[in-house]
Amino acid sequence: MALKEEVIGVICSTLDVSAEEVKEDQKLYDSIGVDSTEVVELVVTLKKHFDVPLGTDEVTKFSTPLEIIATIEKKKQ
Amino acid sequence: MSERVAITGLGVVSPCGLKKETFWANLKRADSYIDEISRFDASNYPSRIAGQVHELDHYTHLSGRLIKKIDVFSHMALVASDQAIKDSNLDLDNVDKNQVGVFMGNALGGWLFAETELRDLYLEGREGISPYMASAWFPAAPQGQVTIYYGFKGYSKTIVADKASSALALWYASKTILEDKNEFVLAGGMEAPITPYALLCANSRGGLSKNNLTCKRAYRPYDLYRDGFVLAEGAGMTVLEKESHALRRNAPIYGFIKGIGFSSDGYHYNRYRPDSKNLEYAIEECLKDARWSKRNVHYICLDAEASEMGDYLETMALKNVFGKQIETISLSAPKSMYGNLLGAQTALDLISTIFSMKNSTVLPTINYQMSDPDCDLDYTPNKPVERQIDKALIIARGRGGINVVLAVEKE
Repeated sequence: MALKEEVIGVICSTLDVSAEEVKEDQKLYDSIGVDSTEVVELVVTLKKHFDVPLGTDEVTKFSTPLEIIATIEKKKQ
Repeated sequence: MSERVAITGLGVVSPCGLKKETFWANLKRADSYIDEISRFDASNYPSRIAGQVHELDHYTHLSGRLIKKIDVFSHMALVASDQAIKDSNLDLDNVDKNQVGVFMGNALGGWLFAETELRDLYLEGREGISPYMASAWFPAAPQGQVTIYYGFKGYSKTIVADKASSALALWYASKTILEDKNEFVLAGGMEAPITPYALLCANSRGGLSKNNLTCKRAYRPYDLYRDGFVLAEGAGMTVLEKESHALRRNAPIYGFIKGIGFSSDGYHYNRYRPDSKNLEYAIEECLKDARWSKRNVHYICLDAEASEMGDYLETMALKNVFGKQIETISLSAPKSMYGNLLGAQTALDLISTIFSMKNSTVLPTINYQMSDPDCDLDYTPNKPVERQIDKALIIARGRGGINVVLAVEKE
């Protein structure tokens, strides 16, 4: 599975939203109204899923899925 | 004539119905809704029976995204709140949300969420715990979730006072209406004690019936062979507003909260004072606050702890306050059918009392078989009785003697 689909899949399953709601170039806060607690859960899940170090300062509610994908890609290198 | 607090909306999540109509229809059948606990293995608990809510997911209006963030006690509060708001015909688009308060009572908090996450904390470390834990477990969580869900910003509080929690919540809510601090209040209580840890605590505290083999007959207040109450879970919510306000917007008016009396035994952290004086004081104060004479009271919804001492003291208090008059007042404990919801109990007692008034029916105290010489009043045993009820009292006693009495009238 491409990284992009995988990251969006994790966002959808973690936050219980559909793939149609998640806009890859929009901030999570704007597209799905994510709150600060949900971001913490998302960061923990992304860390576990991709086995990369990740902080709540690197993925925030104002991050876009494309920015999250880029961050994870960089960490995996 | 002075302004009164009108009850204009009702919401129920209970072991005998998740809508007010079902709740009332089932109560009239005078059956028991107590069962063995089936949600987890409770076989090693001394008391392993309860009134359980089984179909919350079928009645919910919440998204999966929200449900995973909250404990079941908040979930039940949100479902009951939604029912009450709709029942009251509140047009939320045209209400000043700065003037809508939320007053709720519960005794225990949200343990299902908490104990699951604490287990994960110890098994997996810091990152094993859900970030939602911080806002899911604590007693004020349901109040917070309801205010966030609807955007209510009025004066709001959560009251924790054991089995008197929602009685006090209803009263403080009424005061904010009378003092013009709120235009509307969503008031009631919720409790979810059927979890491994909460049930353990309730068992350790004592006072629960251990009559597990005949669970339908276990909760038998005032009966000679009573051995404690049975736990239950659920929520009861009401919408409160001024009578004049309710009349202006043509809202349904179910009844009025007229007064309160309260007192504390000041004796022991867990036991009642071994005389009934403080409960008597609370009843007298309630009658004074409501400006009722003792002759006016038609019905009393009882606390019904089903302990040897608790039922005796309640009986003594009623005899001492009302004298011979008590024989003309109907008494009962409908909770004997579905269990005791601790901090949420008065909210459901209020709703069943409202239906009793509306339908001129006194609900019974079920499982009453053998009379106790120390509890020798007529507790409306086993079958409903037809009777017009215009004025009623509801008694709630928290452990250690938190005595609260509410006065409710029909018209």
